Amino acid sequence: MTASLALSLRGIHKQFGAVRALHDVTLAVRAGTVHALLGENGAGKSTLMRIAFGLVRADRGTVDVLGTTCAPPFTPSMAIAAGVGMVHQHFSLVSAMTVSENIALGSQGRYDPATVHAQVRRIGERTGLVLDPNARVSELPVSAQQRCEIVKALARDARILILDEPTAVLAPDEAQALLAWLRTFVAEHPSHAVVLITHKLRDALAMADDITVLRRGERVAAGVAHTFTEASLADAMLGPGERTHAVQQEVMPRVDAHTDSVGAHHNVITADAIDVRDPRNVLRVRGASFTVRAGEIVGVAAVEGSGQHELLRAVAGMLSIANGRLSAPSDIAFVPEDRHRDALLLDASLTENLALRDAGTRSGRMEWRTLATRTAALLTKRDVRARDAQVNARTLSGGNQQKFILARALDDAPPALIVENPTRGLDFRATADVHDALRDARDAGIAVLLYSSDLDEVLALADRVLALHNGVVHEVPRDRAIVGRAMLGAA
Amino acid sequence: MITPVDDFLAAAVRTATPLALAALGECITERGGVINIGLEGAIICGALAATIAAGTVGGPLGVTAGFTAGALAGVVVTLLFALFTVYLRADQIITGTAITLLSLGFTGLVYKTVYGTTGVGLTIPTIGDVPIPGLSQLPLVGRALFAQPVITYALYAIVPFLAWWFVRTHAGLALRATGESPDAALAAGIQPRTVQALAVLAGGAFAGVAGATLVLAQSGTFVEGMSAGKGFIAIAIVVLGRWTPLGVAGAALLFGGASALQYLFQSLGWREVPYQLFLALPYVLTLLVLARASARSQAPAALARRQLTVG
Repeated sequence: MTASLALSLRGIHKQFGAVRALHDVTLAVRAGTVHALLGENGAGKSTLMRIAFGLVRADRGTVDVLGTTCAPPFTPSMAIAAGVGMVHQHFSLVSAMTVSENIALGSQGRYDPATVHAQVRRIGERTGLVLDPNARVSELPVSAQQRCEIVKALARDARILILDEPTAVLAPDEAQALLAWLRTFVAEHPSHAVVLITHKLRDALAMADDITVLRRGERVAAGVAHTFTEASLADAMLGPGERTHAVQQEVMPRVDAHTDSVGAHHNVITADAIDVRDPRNVLRVRGASFTVRAGEIVGVAAVEGSGQHELLRAVAGMLSIANGRLSAPSDIAFVPEDRHRDALLLDASLTENLALRDAGTRSGRMEWRTLATRTAALLTKRDVRARDAQVNARTLSGGNQQKFILARALDDAPPALIVENPTRGLDFRATADVHDALRDARDAGIAVLLYSSDLDEVLALADRVLALHNGVVHEVPRDRAIVGRAMLGAA
Repeated sequence: MITPVDDFLAAAVRTATPLALAALGECITERGGVINIGLEGAIICGALAATIAAGTVGGPLGVTAGFTAGALAGVVVTLLFALFTVYLRADQIITGTAITLLSLGFTGLVYKTVYGTTGVGLTIPTIGDVPIPGLSQLPLVGRALFAQPVITYALYAIVPFLAWWFVRTHAGLALRATGESPDAALAAGIQPRTVQALAVLAGGAFAGVAGATLVLAQSGTFVEGMSAGKGFIAIAIVVLGRWTPLGVAGAALLFGGASALQYLFQSLGWREVPYQLFLALPYVLTLLVLARASARSQAPAALARRQLTVG
């Protein structure tokens, strides 16, 4: 027999300005199942689920929760009342508040901390999601923040849990534990369901009962998980002819890294027991010692908030070190993770953005004509797709923006390059291009220090791996299991 | 026997009362993520409305009518501010400045229209001091704290109530969540716009009452521009008070004390020090407080943000 549907979205259309985000999408989540919603960045997965949670209003289509049609205007409070809970990719927690205040948020009347504390403990005992109700969210590690989001949903009696890329911020063991917990959640409650938004084929196949695949706002495949293979899912996600990249990237991280056979390469960056404090004077990196040699990529593997942010900036000369000795060249190129905020002036032309590099060290008249020529040459050389050097940075796609930022960073052949989450938010093809650019930089003799929150990306690119846990650095072998454990502080 | 120090402390509390009222209102508004620079405008409108209402009604009822009209005027003025900032998401600083300038001009115009250019013959009922038997006889603080108008006593209840309300009601949590992270508030089923609009209007009501206090409990008359920067001082008080009601009350007392210092020094016979210096003291204090960059760290994270939510 066909199990009843916990969540059903039919004929959903959504347009954002000129962009067609969703076109006639249908999603049927059976009760008692884990449903993977698979697709590339920008395929419309998050938008679809934000519609199911009432955060975004669909232009057309219906949303049924546990058999009841939710009439517009459908708001998050109605979704919560109907039994939907959503764990957002960028958590929706108030970091200045405590765990129990966050969990109580959205109710009415008097707020009694003792009642909420008891509730948090009860949920903890029942589900194993243990939290300190008095802890301030800003002081929690990322995995605990995610637990807090889930407990918040459970506290409101969520029967349908939607999780947006939940494993992206977790170390492998934590991700395993979460996925196992989700299986238990539906196994124990046959009327409940889980929707897992992901772009990882591996997670979808391993965890889900059913899979729905979105590509460019359309549903391109849907069915029971065991009817799919990695190959067929990759075909569906990417469309014909794009598969090789994806499978290569995700399923078999390229093992082409240099080994120690690369001879005669000197240390470019040497850190000797350095301590780094963040701007609020909190000690974030403790006694880190490591080297980065010319012509190698050193990858940093760490769970969000382990001190990598400060470590990278200290090496780049943007944060001063509190203790220890750091020897690094002064002209290190740095590519920050938030390219819109920290790397580009979106409403300035590419030429002007190029001129920003080293702007603080130059004086006198701007040689705009020379700069424009240089920018144009750079666009050609690094295959950045832009109409010309005068267009605003905003008009470029994310992948081309990142390629431009990398091209600018590498323009005058710096001795070292530091990159932070270089492919965040990019699609497969752009990711592959950025990876190629990083390997080219390495092969040209540049010392590269890389951090990515995606462990597979670190393993695919790095010649050597540094695991960072709670501010302490260890060099570890390039083995997924070993690195994963080291990220969590287990030896 | 009444000493100069008794006089000073009483004057400090008296001067602090309207400041505390306006600052508590602004504290509510800012906790919701909106900074209302138009506070000054709400105060002056409250003052004029209180003058007209109290003068028209007259008698003992006139005082009540005055405070009510003051609160209403504050709400009406901030309704305009809420419309532009909360719903149309205009820049809060610019809108607030415009509201203040508009209000100062508008009240002058209405005042001249109603009372003529001379402004004489203003006789409006005022609220008298109500000494509390026993308590007002306490040494040092007795007269300062317990021989004041009823509106000051109201603060003794409002301040602890607000402190409790911020942390122990779901509405208080919703307000703080909206000021810290409107996205998180929305995801928790809260309507951030509604919360912000209500927070702004509540702040307007408080500011209007503060304006009414200036007229009904202090000067007994309306003077053009009589708010004299008190709205801006109240904003500084919120910063100094670290966005908590108890802190705000304490900071208001400090500013009240700075304003009252002139009386103390005059009665001590220090006449060679120009009194203008003491008049300037609260404003100098405002500058110093606002310049303390570290105070920003306690501010609601989404304060004055134009884009409310990402979605």
